[in-house]
Amino acid sequence: MKNRLLATFLTAAMVISTLAGCGGSAAPAATNDASGSGAAATAEAPAADTAASSDASTGTKQTDGKNLPELTTEPLEITLWDIATEDPNKTTQESAVARFMADYPNIKINQVHQQNDNYKQQLVVAMSSGQAPNMYIHWGGGPMAEYYKSGFVNDITDMYAKYDHPDFIDAAVAQSTYDGKMMAIPFGGLSGCDIFYNKTIFADLGLEVPETIDDLEAVCATLKENGITPFALANASKWTGSMYYMYLVARHSGNEEFDAAYTQENGGSFTSPAFIYAAEKIQDWVKKGYFPDGVNSLTADDNQDRALLYDGSAAMMLHGSWQVSGLKSDNEEWYTENIGVFRFPEDAEAKAAGVPQDVEIGTAIGNGFSFNCFNDDGSVNQEMLDACYVLATQYYNDDIYNETQMANGNTPSIKGCEEQIEDPNSKIVVDVFFNASNVQLWYDQYLPASVTEVHKDCMTELFGLEKTPEEIGQEQDEAMQKAIAEQ
Amino acid sequence: MNEYKASKIKSRIAWTIAFIFALSQLILTLTPFFFMVMNSFRKQFDMLQQGVFHLPDPWIVTNYVTVVTNGFFGYFLRSVIVVAISLILMLIISSCAAYPLARMKFKLNVLIYAGIVAMMSVPMHVTLIPIFKMTTSIGLYDTLQSLIGPYVAFALPMSVFILTAFMKTIPKEIEESAEIDGCNRYQNFFRMILPLSKSGLATLAIYNGVTMWNEFAFANTLLISPWNKTLPLALGQFKGEHSLDIPMIMSVLTLSVLPMIILFIIFQDKLVKGMMAGAVKG
Amino acid sequence: MGNSKHLGLAYTRARSTAKAAAIFLAPALLLIAIFIVYPVIDTFAISGYKWNGISSDRIYIGLENWNTLLHDEMFWKSFQHNLIVMVCSIVLQIPIGMLLATFLDAGGKKFNIFKVIWFLPYLMSSVAIAFLFNYALATNGGIISSLATLLRGQKTNIDLLGTSPNALFTVIAVMAWQFTPFYMVYFIAGYGNIDTTIYEAAVIDGATRGQYLRMIAIPLLGPIFKTACTMSLIGSLKYFDMIWNMTQGGPAGATELMATYMYKLSFQQFNMGYGSTVAAGMFLLITAIALLFNRVFKVKEDY
Repeated sequence: MKNRLLATFLTAAMVISTLAGCGGSAAPAATNDASGSGAAATAEAPAADTAASSDASTGTKQTDGKNLPELTTEPLEITLWDIATEDPNKTTQESAVARFMADYPNIKINQVHQQNDNYKQQLVVAMSSGQAPNMYIHWGGGPMAEYYKSGFVNDITDMYAKYDHPDFIDAAVAQSTYDGKMMAIPFGGLSGCDIFYNKTIFADLGLEVPETIDDLEAVCATLKENGITPFALANASKWTGSMYYMYLVARHSGNEEFDAAYTQENGGSFTSPAFIYAAEKIQDWVKKGYFPDGVNSLTADDNQDRALLYDGSAAMMLHGSWQVSGLKSDNEEWYTENIGVFRFPEDAEAKAAGVPQDVEIGTAIGNGFSFNCFNDDGSVNQEMLDACYVLATQYYNDDIYNETQMANGNTPSIKGCEEQIEDPNSKIVVDVFFNASNVQLWYDQYLPASVTEVHKDCMTELFGLEKTPEEIGQEQDEAMQKAIAEQ
Repeated sequence: MNEYKASKIKSRIAWTIAFIFALSQLILTLTPFFFMVMNSFRKQFDMLQQGVFHLPDPWIVTNYVTVVTNGFFGYFLRSVIVVAISLILMLIISSCAAYPLARMKFKLNVLIYAGIVAMMSVPMHVTLIPIFKMTTSIGLYDTLQSLIGPYVAFALPMSVFILTAFMKTIPKEIEESAEIDGCNRYQNFFRMILPLSKSGLATLAIYNGVTMWNEFAFANTLLISPWNKTLPLALGQFKGEHSLDIPMIMSVLTLSVLPMIILFIIFQDKLVKGMMAGAVKG
Repeated sequence: MGNSKHLGLAYTRARSTAKAAAIFLAPALLLIAIFIVYPVIDTFAISGYKWNGISSDRIYIGLENWNTLLHDEMFWKSFQHNLIVMVCSIVLQIPIGMLLATFLDAGGKKFNIFKVIWFLPYLMSSVAIAFLFNYALATNGGIISSLATLLRGQKTNIDLLGTSPNALFTVIAVMAWQFTPFYMVYFIAGYGNIDTTIYEAAVIDGATRGQYLRMIAIPLLGPIFKTACTMSLIGSLKYFDMIWNMTQGGPAGATELMATYMYKLSFQQFNMGYGSTVAAGMFLLITAIALLFNRVFKVKEDY
């Protein structure tokens, strides 16, 4: 036991020295203290369950010496909902909670792992029955706004300005903000969206990583000639096809046309040139056979897209960066040997016209925690909120947490973390992400819920060649206008 | 003599057709089941690379080891308890309700019957919020007992409906002769009608047993703690936000269906016996 | 029964019947009232509000949701899908189930192995069914496409789940696969209820097996048959599980059913008020169809 403790201490100390830039939880004014106290905490916590409780009695806490609210010493119970049903997330997140409870033995966290598929339903049921959790996961975007408007989210703008917190990247702060108010603490890590490709097939056919969309089309043509489907896409899930649409729009017009279409003001519309361009391109690719047959019948949930990569029948896959860990856990050897990543190619014409080519698609927060700490009379339960804040910023998002996140292929949305990535593909994903001038959140999370449904159905009709680009644009316009009118 | 021959040939042709039909049905039902079991012995990568409809190569049992060491028996046991209690209660209550509806003449009979049948058309999901509220307010939230009420109640309309139909087919004379022997209505019910409804009850037990065994929505809403969860929720351990270990899920599903198959094999024999009993008495 | 000569006796008898009926019915009615009737009333009440499902403010809007429902293309489209599913289910599941049961009834105990295997689909969970059929029916490399390729001698890809109306019929076929075994067991029980002496008598009278079935057994199964149809009818009108796991109503609403539509509105789109209206509408439609069906196919009842 002693040896093991010593060993963990040593590795932890080494990790800290390499981790220096990442996870400092004392922003905005980053002090040298931060890494020091972080190191002490890291050394204690791996033995969380046994050792940490004795540490608590000696009075040293992971949060000591930081600018944080003083937590209550009275007994307090907090219900926390996450979706960490399976490992490795389960262990990572449970250990964050365990470290917190060891430091604050009077505070009990009821951590509940909900199943992702039914999570939204669970939350609706609980909220409508007055049993909403005090701290819960969400993905930002439209639903976060809805929870806020219904009174289930604490505004933490002031706390965030006043107290220490990890130095989150700007995009993550932006995606945690609604209506100018901060309402979530990110903890899931960022997800970029890039093209995974089979290096072996590319090498065999003498193909280069494409720089522009024209290059990409040339690659597709060669692949097709050789009997390989260019893109592995499972579009029964709809949000997968949406990635192609979003990227083509972004490359053609940056953020401008989407932002305009979102407000439907100043002539903004889903039928504006970039949307038409994207839809036409996709339909052209469908006609040329660049997507698998029956693309609308394949589901990403059943990994039917990955299957096409594995059996060599498709060569590229535009997908979220979480695929790295999925591919790796399926077969790491095969992954290392065959899979590379490149960013979505640029639109040369638009670039020449001055359209920024560094607007990327993805999510900067992955998952965020919002807090629902209110008294029966509707006033803020500050005691509980303080505890939630400390838990989310100092135990989730601490060095141990971030380190395990990265070991599992997730990149925390914290400045400096990008330097510790080892997997070459993840490195590319993160580089693309950090060099982005703006990260557009997935449409299906960004748009209001009713528009999301229409957008997703439009993706089916788009890839199924059932509707024209104009018709798809009009449908989305209609839904958007309706949603705006209902606000 | 000729006629006999002809009918023999006819019957032979009929049986041949019947057997072809039977065999094709056999293949149709067995194939997906077979592949569910096969895929539970593979790694996800092999399954995706070789195709789902490929035999395991290599065979692995680690999925089963993982499933079993992740508290499978706890989930299993809780499911057995909930389903057994709910099923027994449901059978008693529904046969009690079906008896007067099938065999007594009273004013509200048709109305009550129609009302119960109408309840069959209620979509389950609309009851989630009200039932959740009730469960929390009486303090049963996150207990196994909380499932019993909804499980029994939701099985009732269909069961009453079926049992009423079954009890109507029992000849009236049986009851009348029993009445002459001095049985009152209650004795009548327990001594004559209930035993004669055995085959109907068996069908119901199968139908609702399977439904309850696989029930997900109520269990997922009303149970929170891992130590209270039932079998259909065990799948969640192998499903993440972006990841899904399909072979692992297939092994959970295989393990959950096995006891049902065993029960069915035992039970269907009982079912036949029940029918025989009915036939002899009738 | 009721004979005018013994009015007093009949009255006492009717009262005691009513009392017995009440005692027998009470537990069932109580449970149904708590767990089903109350939520239904609640649903109807919510259908009068504009409500996102979670907020404490609901805005009363009277019958506006119902007016929307009447003109909601998506709802009527999904209702239409439900009707197609209903008709196909009755036409497929019940006759096949009946055939299987007849085969087993004729074969007796030695066919038990058939019974056990045929019953398997009903025991499988919707998750497994959805997953396996998604792969089995895959356009490229799925079983059906491979068979078609084999038969035609050239590469043939059949898109069963990705296009309309193929997707709906595919899902119907999978549903039939899942539920036929239940009707099989149901009809076996039905055959079991027929007195064996009737068969013996028929055989003595020189009837063949086929004649016995046509003239005696099937007519005797009348009420059972009707119940089965009603169950299939209601089941297919409120079906949710496997469709949700398999297509979630897609592609582009091609397999959207009333229940999946309601679920999306209520729990995913923050539109509980209207979702409840859809649920209530669904309840009214299903009940009306079930009652109509029972009226049209009224089997002579005998108490």
